[in-house]
Amino acid sequence: MEPTVLVTGGSGFVGSAVVAALKRQHPKWQLSVLDLQEPIEPQLQVQYWFCDITNQTEVETLIAKIKPTGIIHTAGVVPHLKDRYSREARQSIFRVNVDGTRNFVTAARDNNVKAFVWTGSCTAVTDDFSQQYPNIDESWPTSSHSLVYGESKTAAEAIVLAASNQHLATCALRPSVIFGPGDRQLIPALHACIVNGETPFAVGDGLNMWDITYVDNVADAHVLAMENLFSTKTAAGQALFISNEQPLPFRDFCLAVWKSFGHYPPFQVNIPRRLAASIGVVAEWVTWLTGYPASLSRGSVQDACQIRYCSGVKAREVLGYKPSVSIEEGIRISCNDFATRSRMQGRCDSGRRGRGKRSQLLLD
Amino acid sequence: MRAADVIYYTFHVQELRSIVQWKIWHHPVHERDPEKEPVSLRVCFDLLDQTSRSFSAVIQELHPELLVPIALFYLILRGLDTIEDDMTLPIEKKDALLRDFHTINEKEGWSFTGSGPDEKDRELLVQFHYVTEEYRKIKPVYREFINDITRKMGAGMADYCNKAAKGNAGVETIEEYDEYCFYVAGLVGQGLTQLFVESGLANAALKDRPQLQKSMGLFLQKTNIIRDVREDWDDKRRFWPREIWSKYVDNFEDLFTPANQEAALNCSSEMVLNSLNHADECLFYLAGLKEQSVFNFAAIPQAMAIATLALVFRNPDIFKKNVKMTKGAACQTMLDSTQNLSKVCEVFRKFVRQIHKKNTPKDPNFLKISIACGKVEQFIESIFPSQNPQALVRQEAPETEEQKKEREEAKWDIIYMLMIVMGTLFVLSFIMIGIAWLVGARFDLAFSELKDGNWRSLGKDNARKMAAKYDRGEL
Repeated sequence: MEPTVLVTGGSGFVGSAVVAALKRQHPKWQLSVLDLQEPIEPQLQVQYWFCDITNQTEVETLIAKIKPTGIIHTAGVVPHLKDRYSREARQSIFRVNVDGTRNFVTAARDNNVKAFVWTGSCTAVTDDFSQQYPNIDESWPTSSHSLVYGESKTAAEAIVLAASNQHLATCALRPSVIFGPGDRQLIPALHACIVNGETPFAVGDGLNMWDITYVDNVADAHVLAMENLFSTKTAAGQALFISNEQPLPFRDFCLAVWKSFGHYPPFQVNIPRRLAASIGVVAEWVTWLTGYPASLSRGSVQDACQIRYCSGVKAREVLGYKPSVSIEEGIRISCNDFATRSRMQGRCDSGRRGRGKRSQLLLD
Repeated sequence: MRAADVIYYTFHVQELRSIVQWKIWHHPVHERDPEKEPVSLRVCFDLLDQTSRSFSAVIQELHPELLVPIALFYLILRGLDTIEDDMTLPIEKKDALLRDFHTINEKEGWSFTGSGPDEKDRELLVQFHYVTEEYRKIKPVYREFINDITRKMGAGMADYCNKAAKGNAGVETIEEYDEYCFYVAGLVGQGLTQLFVESGLANAALKDRPQLQKSMGLFLQKTNIIRDVREDWDDKRRFWPREIWSKYVDNFEDLFTPANQEAALNCSSEMVLNSLNHADECLFYLAGLKEQSVFNFAAIPQAMAIATLALVFRNPDIFKKNVKMTKGAACQTMLDSTQNLSKVCEVFRKFVRQIHKKNTPKDPNFLKISIACGKVEQFIESIFPSQNPQALVRQEAPETEEQKKEREEAKWDIIYMLMIVMGTLFVLSFIMIGIAWLVGARFDLAFSELKDGNWRSLGKDNARKMAAKYDRGEL
């Protein structure tokens, strides 16, 4: 019998890409999607369920009803860039990312689910700013004292991996920063830099490399992980970094995105890291006093200067993962998508205001 | 030394220093002993000096086991090259010579006087019987390797010459470009690897990595092809593949028109990108060389190639003239590349960052070049990690009883140390103040003056007056 696979957060950014990849590669699998929000483009032959993942009874009831063979748990909350460095939202983020994950792991165990793939994040390791992360592999420890998001991913990952046993095989994927059509964080923020005239200013020496992964590649990794847990189970109980295997300086990624919007910085000023950090402190005060959000803060300076890319060897060896869309192609697709979306938004902006709230709790 | 050089080195003292250092401090790992060599071998080394500017010195420093085989290997391939290059030879004759060159090695007393009068390595072929004489003396297994490569290279060159004779001058596709470079350089990498491994001076695993061997040759060849674009074109030759340049200009000669400079630069950066993609594999290969002289022999050309690549990247001069590294820069690179792999990696990182710095988003290959540079950096990081995850693991791990005790001890050490310092200061101050008091220092006066706000020091006379003011009663 063909397996039934449930994708949580299947209407979100990563989730919808996972659903599309599953449909493409396993047309016979029965797919269910569980989310808070309705899908932007509902897929044929996919069952949609609505549920609050922080409510344990609701989750238990639904899993008992759907009886999936495998669960891909992508639902989670990614704080908006401007809240990334604050600790205020800790409770709400932990409720969704940690408690929500625990609910599904428990429900999976109680309902004879065979395989559980969880969308973690490289931030479980890399959100501690006191370190640099060049070419890291899975032997690097997760950090329990970093930023709220990274901490939530560390805590949830521990729950997922500890649950792996002979009946239920679990694995955690740790994708890097993800971009692609439908992304509401990275490309929009970079586009805003053009509007604000911030593109000439580079923080640090501009040599620090990052991993940035195209969303369809991340989706492929999820499908491979599910296949693995259904068959050889060599990924069971494992965490795996997922990247585009094309680490590049963060600054260069920005330049390439701006280029595809037809923008070239007229000149470039490299602001030394320490100087930028002190300006960041001042900017934080100004934000605190006036309430006007600035793009610069200590956190964003550290983010922009940090080295964080992984070796990618384990995903290649264990899952046979190989990114199929290059960063260049990914940027082209994403920027076209962004341009189309902003044109549409421009046209029906007034009518849509009411839906703006949704983006606060981005289901990923 | 020309006046221009004097001025240049006055402002680039660092480079001058490198030249001096290289001249004074570079000691060959092994030295050949011409006294003990037969005449024919000495002639061979003379020929080597004449034919190669850059390789002769490194070859002559090679381990004695490989010294002669590699020198002869070089001369034989150089002979082939001379025939290939010679435009005065009719194609039928050239074809036959190239394809039979491997049998010539075995023939006694073969030499060739039919080269054009302007051919710069004509003399080598005229005296080639010395080469074959020495060749017959080396170990049969080495001969087998050299012969095999000579045969393959001769055949590849003959194919290329035939095509050129039919009017298909110039390389069409990138695949053809790779193939051409493989015949003239990749094969050399293969042959040398066989010699290195057979002699036990390199890791045997290298033999099973044909891709790495190939990259060693292709990286050098492709970099030279980019640098020599002008010179080759002046000689009516073109090695840049049409598949690449046709994206930027309609006719190859348009690259040399100043009006097309931007297109020409973009075209050259795609050529640089194509070459740069071999860089990480070259470092990987070098990691397999054990013996110092073999390492130097292989590493120097690679380091020079990455330096050249950085020099020609987005450099409009390559379309105008022969671009050359300064002697100082060359010596610096040689100094750095004759130590160990980590030093060579630093050289690569340095020049890759220069390329990265010159890279501009207006270049259509911007992102690809950035990623290619990143690949080299990542590779270096993978063989020489700058961070140690184990240290972090220890940090994250809960403290053991022993660590706790240690930390506690360290804390008390600091406290004791502070107590001793403070105690010493206290005792010393007590003694000093005590002595001052004994000999009659008037602290009471000092304090009350300070209280009144007189912080400045008084003169001797004023002090006396002051004392008198206070002590009036007793007088």
